[in-house]
Amino acid sequence: MQPVNDDAALTSLESSLKDLCREPFRRIDRFIQLALLGSANCAAGRKLRPDCGIYLGSGLGPIGNNIVTQEQLIRDAEIPKPFNFINTLGSSAGFYVARNLGLQGQNFFISRRGASLQAVLSAAMADMLLGFVTQALVGVVEEVALPLDAHRLRQHLSQDILLAEGSHWLLLQSGAGDSRSLDLQRFAEFTALEDFLESAWHTGDRLCCATSMDNRVADTLRQGFAAGTLLDPDGAFHDSLEAAWLAAFAAGSEPGNLFLVDGHRQRGWSLFHLGA
Amino acid sequence: MAGAYIRGVGLSCALGEDSESCVSAMQRMQVQPVRLRLDEFDEPLLMPYYRIPDRSELFDAGRFERLLPPVARAAVAQAGLTTAEIRRLPMFIGSSCFSIGLSESRYATALAQQPETAIPMPLCGYQDIAVILQRTLACKGDTYTYNTACTSSANALLAALRMIELGWYRHALVVGAELANRTTLAGFSGLQIVAETLRPFDVARKGLLMGEGIGAVLLSAETDSASRLRVIGGASNCDTWSVTTANPDGNSVAKVLNQVLHQTRVQPQQVRGIKAHGTATPTGDAAEARGLQQVFASLPPVSALKPHLGHTLGACCVNELILYAGALLRGFLPATSGFETPDAALGLYPLKTMDSAPDGYYLLNHFGFGGNNTVLALEKTAP
Repeated sequence: MQPVNDDAALTSLESSLKDLCREPFRRIDRFIQLALLGSANCAAGRKLRPDCGIYLGSGLGPIGNNIVTQEQLIRDAEIPKPFNFINTLGSSAGFYVARNLGLQGQNFFISRRGASLQAVLSAAMADMLLGFVTQALVGVVEEVALPLDAHRLRQHLSQDILLAEGSHWLLLQSGAGDSRSLDLQRFAEFTALEDFLESAWHTGDRLCCATSMDNRVADTLRQGFAAGTLLDPDGAFHDSLEAAWLAAFAAGSEPGNLFLVDGHRQRGWSLFHLGA
Repeated sequence: MAGAYIRGVGLSCALGEDSESCVSAMQRMQVQPVRLRLDEFDEPLLMPYYRIPDRSELFDAGRFERLLPPVARAAVAQAGLTTAEIRRLPMFIGSSCFSIGLSESRYATALAQQPETAIPMPLCGYQDIAVILQRTLACKGDTYTYNTACTSSANALLAALRMIELGWYRHALVVGAELANRTTLAGFSGLQIVAETLRPFDVARKGLLMGEGIGAVLLSAETDSASRLRVIGGASNCDTWSVTTANPDGNSVAKVLNQVLHQTRVQPQQVRGIKAHGTATPTGDAAEARGLQQVFASLPPVSALKPHLGHTLGACCVNELILYAGALLRGFLPATSGFETPDAALGLYPLKTMDSAPDGYYLLNHFGFGGNNTVLALEKTAP
């Protein structure tokens, strides 16, 4: 997760990409660059199976490229350039990730605005539970487009909010003994969620309530389960903060469990449990 | 092979504004595209287009708000879900346009009124369709919005099927939605793959014709007395040969077809019909034809439906599934209008006239930009 300062241009990703990509990809946009960087870093030093699934999520998608395309079309009355048009599709980023990592399995782009991590994790875990994939590269990418004041307006954010870019990835693998475990529990009733948390909770565990949750419910949970354990890596905002929390915890060596809660009383509750 | 039953459908496309009249119009092979002319460019863009026959202006920003609700309501009403079931109903949405048309309109208006403060992409993200649907149905269920180009609604349906099989959900609403917008029309025009006529697998095929359509399928773990169609499986893979088309050698297409057959334990000779993706692009049809030939020693009857409603892009799976399923229930396999002269290099001969549709297994193919190949399997059972 990289905070973006108001007075600075976005950091160039070119030189990092040179080190991490198997081939020099042309006609790619910043969203694709972010996806390539995050996925390649996550996969570095690990053996990926060719049928490893890719589950890419994002709240806003390739916003910078979409802006360029819309300006070409509406402001300049020009036909969009072919690569700009093709890169408006969410699946383009997944294509380059697959090509860079030599993958030929499932490749999905899924969004649920501020809860895109929960959507891609759910899809990946469903496929793993059913045995359709034994490895899943799950990522959430959020891009910032300059100028920042326009980017905030677009998202109905206050002008004093610090914005961030992010490309957060997890490699899920069935039967990986020396890694953290990830489980997904689903509860129809809130009391069942509370009961489960109570029984599973250990001192030092961390609780994250999804940003999309009702504040009062989130506060209830935070009070009940060690207030102040919410992770907040940089104090900056992007559309998929949960992904930053989970990826930071997964990459670290802190003891304990991380519980990510999302849901609503009318649709039920999801609990993602990243084990010690 | 638990699968999920099709309990309700709703459809609005060039063929009509409800699913039954759409199937009837396809059966009569009577729909023709309209002629579009976009004047805002140096040279006007001219193309045939399959539009929904509502009376709105094509780029009217309110069309999603008007056209989505009746389609979703039709699917849910057919399934007879209770209010409590609807409140928790998860939605799996596939589209390649989302609210881009509305975003274009707002940006154009802002540019005309106050160019110095106009912000491009004033609407962004992928949630608008889900928001409209949830408001329409008074529903708070989980949403999964897929944007994988022309396989968007196929992948949405595949995910719904799998989560139902896992027992996470008892019912799911799968929606494909594609409406006319300038980005898509001009974008495809810039790729130079838009043709004057749509001729899948024909030697004279020159490219696709676009269309718009909104379809909704209510999938359920539970059958009822009327359910004769069950989605029994599906598979998806990624071909990294090119971002715009599968490798014309057909290998990745054959691989995904074999995955579906293996997963559903259906033998190739048990397949009674195939709904082709059939975009009528030279390389796309070649990849599909060669992939099919690698899997089937003798091809079952193939129907390509895009000449009936246009290529509805991210929504094509749900829209064409509803048409194909409707035809199966009426006992016929659809003809491929536009196919006249076989391409000897492909060796694939889609149905020129309707054929009978026995009970049994059917496959539905979908391929998209970004290397996405997704195939679904359907079973039609006796009443």
